[in-house]
Amino acid sequence: MIDMNWVLVIIGETMVIWGAICNLIASIGLLRFPNFYVRLHALTVGTIWGAFVPLIGVGLIAAGSEFLGDYRWFMAGAAFVTATLLLFLAPVGSHAIARAAHKSKAAIVYPKVVDKLEEDREKGEIR
Amino acid sequence: MDLETHVTTVLSAAIPIFTVSIILYSIRFFKGPTIPDMVISVDAISYAMAVFLTVLAVIFKSPILIPCAIVLMLWAYALDIYVAKYLEAKEYGD
Repeated sequence: MIDMNWVLVIIGETMVIWGAICNLIASIGLLRFPNFYVRLHALTVGTIWGAFVPLIGVGLIAAGSEFLGDYRWFMAGAAFVTATLLLFLAPVGSHAIARAAHKSKAAIVYPKVVDKLEEDREKGEIR
Repeated sequence: MDLETHVTTVLSAAIPIFTVSIILYSIRFFKGPTIPDMVISVDAISYAMAVFLTVLAVIFKSPILIPCAIVLMLWAYALDIYVAKYLEAKEYGD
């Protein structure tokens, strides 16, 4: 018979290790990529695979670990709530900062082939 | 090997990886040529630090560390929105 706590703990540990590796990959990408709009892709790896997935994993570990006492349900629930809030709020923040950077020209689009957003803004179709 | 030793061993192996990635994010924060670069690096540091706090809470068996992770993640979101507002309109507030 398979112990249910061991199943939860093994799945959670796999997710935490995977998230740590993705955090490392995202940090190398954020350091090596050439400009701001390319670095946003590395940030996306760091938020979804590097923060959402290990938070779910920590929740599963806390739910399956009986040595944590009665407070393990509090830890599991708070980890799930953090993961859900991060899943909704992190893309909104990235989108807001990218839009502001393009509109205020704080980050120059340097190796540029085509920029339809800037053309539309010059024609006055969007603000 | 019982469950407690297994969990502590595997999660202790994840600590150096998180530490190295936080150090690499902060190098980008100090180098960052433009303001949006510094803002997204602070975001990444906050998200990695929130996960790190929850991992430490399981290792140290202290549930009081978990609400700090929620507050840290919400601060990163508030920083995004405030800096975006400032870059677009050059003012804070409403």
